[in-house]
Amino acid sequence: MSPRWRRFRVGPDGGLIMSLAPQELEVLRGLPDELRAVFDAPAEDAGAVRLFPPAYLDPEEDEAEEMWKAMVHPDLLRQRLDALELVVGALARATPNKEWREIALTPDDVQAWLGVLNDTRLVLGTRLGVTEDEPDIDPTSPDAAAFNVYYWLTHLQGELIDALLG
Amino acid sequence: MTTAPVEIREPEIFEDTTSDRPWMVIVWNDPVNLMTYVVYVFQKLFGYSRAKATKLMRQVHEEGRAVVADGSREKCEADVARLHAHGLWATMEHDA
Repeated sequence: MSPRWRRFRVGPDGGLIMSLAPQELEVLRGLPDELRAVFDAPAEDAGAVRLFPPAYLDPEEDEAEEMWKAMVHPDLLRQRLDALELVVGALARATPNKEWREIALTPDDVQAWLGVLNDTRLVLGTRLGVTEDEPDIDPTSPDAAAFNVYYWLTHLQGELIDALLG
Repeated sequence: MTTAPVEIREPEIFEDTTSDRPWMVIVWNDPVNLMTYVVYVFQKLFGYSRAKATKLMRQVHEEGRAVVADGSREKCEADVARLHAHGLWATMEHDA
């Protein structure tokens, strides 16, 4: 019996080594542009609202909301762009190991991946209108490919969190 | 000596109820964020134990929302921003 395959192994300096199939790597390489499109989208875009939601629900706090948004939005956007840059850098240094492509992630990379995977799922999930129940995907639906990517990213993020929580 | 009753005046305190009332940070249920991720974020941001973070995550999931932190307006605004940076759906409101 071979030991159970793990997507994430403990790497040097407290990081993780991630193993991806070549076609998985290709899917991931397409994601940064999707997120950048949302960062550049108008503030009322559904994906943008989900990534940058309001702090106050009470309309009496509209003024506080405006001040808060002006104060934190540049920081929140900067953090997301920095994380995206780390993920793009990691994708670029994938190296073959037998049938897999391996990427060594530093602890900072790991946090960036966690955030970028989650943000991408938030944007895709909002666009697809996902619910807590996982549906059977109709293969003829125009959204079938996006649903498959969404649920694969859910699985990948789950594996990453399991590796972190130990 | 007088036995006349002494009137004790209560010190007058003007409460600015809009700024002194504590604020609460609420996290709302959403269909995308993974339960394990929410637990991880609560532990990371607030230093909660695994047990406390899990209990709060369950409350969000089952009741639709949970109070995860409280304090001054400034503290809660910072907490909401940190939660948003991690993709959680958080808002703040006055303590009832």
